[in-house]
Amino acid sequence: MSKIPDVLVRPEFEASDIGKASTADVARKLTLMERISDMNSVRKLSILVIVIVAWEIYSQVSGVSELVLPKFSATAWALVDAVFSEKLLYMVWNSITVLITGYAIGIVIATLLTTAAATTRFGSDILSTLTAMLNPLPAIALLPLALLWFGLGADAIIFTLLHSVIWPVALNAHVGFMSVSDTQRMVGRNYGLRGIVYVVKLLIPAAFPQILMGLKIGWSYAWRTLIAAELVFGGSISDTSEGASGGLGWFIFASQMDLRIAYVFAGLFMVILVGVVVETVVFNKIESLTVRKWGMQAR
Amino acid sequence: MNTPVKNNKNSIPQLVFRPEFEVSGIEQAQTSEVARKLSTLERVWNIDGVRKFVILLSLIVVWQAYTVGFDVEPLMLPSFWLSFSTLIRDLFYSDLIWKVWFSIKVLIIGYSAGLFLAAILILWATVSRFGSDFISMSTAMFNPLPAIALLPLAMLWFGLGTASLVFVLIHSVLWAVALSTHSGFEGVSQTLRMIGRNYGLKGFGYVWKILVPAALPSILAGMKIGWAFAWRTLIGAELVFGASSGSGGLGWYIFESSQNIDTDGVFAGLFMVILIGFFVENIVFRNIERRTVNRWGMQR
Repeated sequence: MSKIPDVLVRPEFEASDIGKASTADVARKLTLMERISDMNSVRKLSILVIVIVAWEIYSQVSGVSELVLPKFSATAWALVDAVFSEKLLYMVWNSITVLITGYAIGIVIATLLTTAAATTRFGSDILSTLTAMLNPLPAIALLPLALLWFGLGADAIIFTLLHSVIWPVALNAHVGFMSVSDTQRMVGRNYGLRGIVYVVKLLIPAAFPQILMGLKIGWSYAWRTLIAAELVFGGSISDTSEGASGGLGWFIFASQMDLRIAYVFAGLFMVILVGVVVETVVFNKIESLTVRKWGMQAR
Repeated sequence: MNTPVKNNKNSIPQLVFRPEFEVSGIEQAQTSEVARKLSTLERVWNIDGVRKFVILLSLIVVWQAYTVGFDVEPLMLPSFWLSFSTLIRDLFYSDLIWKVWFSIKVLIIGYSAGLFLAAILILWATVSRFGSDFISMSTAMFNPLPAIALLPLAMLWFGLGTASLVFVLIHSVLWAVALSTHSGFEGVSQTLRMIGRNYGLKGFGYVWKILVPAALPSILAGMKIGWAFAWRTLIGAELVFGASSGSGGLGWYIFESSQNIDTDGVFAGLFMVILIGFFVENIVFRNIERRTVNRWGMQR
């Protein structure tokens, strides 16, 4: 027989010094400082201020050349000066009109392609072959060809913008359509929806999150392409002769050529500003009116 | 209860009894084909690859027929065959392959440096609230800024050469990846987080073993967008400034050809751009997705 180990009996004991029971703060009023630093916008704003102050101090103290890094104050002043005396806003407007034209036409073509793809198998094959080939092709690489075909001018830029918008929008919409659940499709069929009505009333609302994503990606490609096109071929494209003043990219390019670096930074601020307005204001508004209201996308 | 017709003459119409009848000409019941063997042609046509290949082939044929049939000026639109033979010629008997290699090298350096910096930023953002604020502030500001717009500044700071290309590439990758990774991390469910905490994971281990796998779909999406931006930026940057850095890259090849009104060279360059882009998007990233998020069932 195996031995059973001895049972250890722990001696009884009494804990001697248990203090009086007390609770720590369960709820405590935050100090004013804590409450302020809990506000998101305050923290973010202070980061921005810190960066700006650091920039200003660095450029003042280290004596870095104005040509390498202008002071923040000089940049801000350059922005104001450019807006009021160099028609910067007018240039921004020029860029935006070209952008909107290209973007709108691109969306129309993408819609046609996607509708064809949603209704017929042959259309779907054409769309997936074309997007697989042309989506990885940067639109800016087509600019030399566009210049050859359409000459120097807004037409060439609009052609490249079309190319940069159509494929991501069509691709995302198509993927969105494909992943609409069969239940919803069958509900639509049951109501007798067909063709264009089927696409508009059933597929588009059901795939709207992806469509919106495609629109956002298309916008960001178009914006990048536009700035690049104006920057790279700025001199040859924009009519600087007859008072028409080119676009925002051209402003940056021209300032850099004149070694007015503060104005280059001012142009970059403008680019950021336009980008932030479109991405956060326009698209957020669309999102909150559609997909978030419909509860298709959290937050 | 069993009297459906009440004796109320005012409101209830008279019941109409349909006379009984017998249908005379019902034929023998018959089903049509339920399952039928497809003909060979139909079966071949049902293969995705075949259909796509046919479409591609017919596009090429249309292009070739148009240029030959209408006798289009080759300076405006060269025929497919001319462009293709230029591509082959330059690939094997000229230095196009080295230009491609040069572009890819710069791209890889810039892309990996951008990913590395993004990883550091993200780590900082997960450990401190200040880092998280910083990252959301800077991505909101810099993500809408096209990297190519920084090229004039980069050339001023780093001179003409690979360094300024790498700088703009980093800029184009960093914010896209950081943005989508950060939002991916924030979307990781509380349950998964608590499981991680329960296992005693902290700091780097917590990020690597819980957050990264759980947010991998959005990290991959960010990497894909970052790659697309980087590729576009690189070609755009090289279109102008590639020549200065020694041999120049693929974008420079396109620009050079277009300056020499050598349009078939432009098309050859575009073929090469499409080829590389197609390879990275449909083979590299597709395989990574298949091995990870598809296999783990996070994404169809």
